[in-house]
Amino acid sequence: MLKVVAACGNGMGSSQIIKMKIDKIFKKLNMPVEIHHMSVGEAKAAASGYDVVFCSIAFVDIFSVKNNRTKVIGLKNLLSETEIETKIRENLTVSDEGRD
Amino acid sequence: MDQILLTINMVSQGFANNILVKPEFFIGILVFIGYMLLGKPIYEAFGGFIKAAVGMMIWNVGSGGLVTTFRPILSGLNDRFALHAAVIDPYFGLNAASEAIKSIGMSLSWTMISLMVGFAWNILLVLFRKQTKIRTLFLTGHIMIQQATTCTWLVFFAIPALRNIQGAMWIGILVGTYWAVFSNLTVEPTQKLTDNSGFAVGHQQMGWVWLASKLAPKFGSPKHTVENVKFPRWLTMFNDNVIATGTLMLVFFGVIMSILGEPYLRGIDKAGFPPNLAFATYILSKSLLFAVYLFILISGVRMFVAELTESFRGISEKILPGSLPAVDCAATYGFSSPNTVLFGFVFGCLGQFLAIAGLFIFKIPILIITGFVPVFFDNATTAVFANKFGGIRAAGILAFCTGMIQVAGGAFAAWYFELYTYGGWHGNIDWDTIWPLIGVIMKNFAMPGMILVIVAMLMIPQIQYRNSSDKENYFKIEAD
Repeated sequence: MLKVVAACGNGMGSSQIIKMKIDKIFKKLNMPVEIHHMSVGEAKAAASGYDVVFCSIAFVDIFSVKNNRTKVIGLKNLLSETEIETKIRENLTVSDEGRD
Repeated sequence: MDQILLTINMVSQGFANNILVKPEFFIGILVFIGYMLLGKPIYEAFGGFIKAAVGMMIWNVGSGGLVTTFRPILSGLNDRFALHAAVIDPYFGLNAASEAIKSIGMSLSWTMISLMVGFAWNILLVLFRKQTKIRTLFLTGHIMIQQATTCTWLVFFAIPALRNIQGAMWIGILVGTYWAVFSNLTVEPTQKLTDNSGFAVGHQQMGWVWLASKLAPKFGSPKHTVENVKFPRWLTMFNDNVIATGTLMLVFFGVIMSILGEPYLRGIDKAGFPPNLAFATYILSKSLLFAVYLFILISGVRMFVAELTESFRGISEKILPGSLPAVDCAATYGFSSPNTVLFGFVFGCLGQFLAIAGLFIFKIPILIITGFVPVFFDNATTAVFANKFGGIRAAGILAFCTGMIQVAGGAFAAWYFELYTYGGWHGNIDWDTIWPLIGVIMKNFAMPGMILVIVAMLMIPQIQYRNSSDKENYFKIEAD
């Protein structure tokens, strides 16, 4: 199971939106995930414990994860399912089996 | 027949005595019902109940902590300099408003009823969009909690006759009209900024987003943008809200406590300031305690808002496909360079500091303390929109003005609505301009004033539609 975290300034508004959107896309791609949401400040400390971090592109530079596991994905439009799906496909291995 | 009436009476009495006075259970039940309506399994609905209730109880812990930390400092300021202090921040404001509501013997459940009515009213306004010209549904849960609570206090304060269930309904309609009308006003500028990404802003500076995008072209040209400005690296630490709040509190309360002086504080805060503790340590730990309790309060709010938003969104997606979601202002930041956000923060801070100095110079008996959320999010949003429509000059000037108005409007509101007693005001820019005005109208004209405000707000989208250059596509915006 992929461990995912959605981060934004306060850990409430936009990260909540991203969380619901990415949840929808991961379900569509048939990938089991566990998604948390928190503020960028908390996520910065917790990032290395996750497989993927989603945040606004404005915040990508804050993360400096030094392992091979964590991928930080910056989103321009937090509400665009198309963008989220494209970026997941670019960054993660997506098996297309079992898709409808 | 009598038996039935008696039972109904007993049940409603029981509800009033056990649920309404315990907002944590009230909100839990709302979430539970929301999940059941969405057809989720019962264990998920139960989980939602627990998380919402626990979240609200955590909020109470943070809230109580803030009050006890505040009290000696607030009373000290009042006692020695006849000054009232208010932190302009939505969470300090939420705390102050909820303490004020409790102080008049009302429960926060009324706020939750207003919240539900406001949300339902917003849905209704969008359902009849052909008549109302409103296309946006306000979905930013934590903002809705803050605004419904402050609005509840404003109405309870201005019109004591409305301190009841009827009042809660009216408050819902008032705040719901604001959510619907002002988020609708942000549609055009947000669509332009985000290349038609299909969302609007549902936050604390919606009036300002509209105004900034109208005023910006007069201050500069969109050709000269903030993109190329380089900021020192250390400024990015303010992206972290714990660091930012901790630092701001340390600066402001550090100064206040130094002025109050060591002997005085030792005298009034015997429990918190034992003889063997150094003054510097006392200041440091006291200031950081604000950040601690604020963090606890926010964690609690976040927990129950997550549940509430989940059921709100589910319900709205079922009833209102194709409506435009109005979301957190931070969703617009990706469409501007990261510089712009910091640029707005810096200029807004300068504006606030200058205005605070002004309060001293003009001997205003209200002291305003900068809160992180308005100074960061309002000014960043102002800068993002101003930069898009008027470039770097507009971004600087408008963010600076926003900062000044936040302090002036916040000082007025904290005094007028008597929330300085609880040390905070909901200092986001719409709450330093539009809402104080609404409050003053309600205080002076009571019910007719409130109805006037609602009708006047509902006129705005009509004018907006009439002035729209592209009437054919006015209703056609949809998110992907």
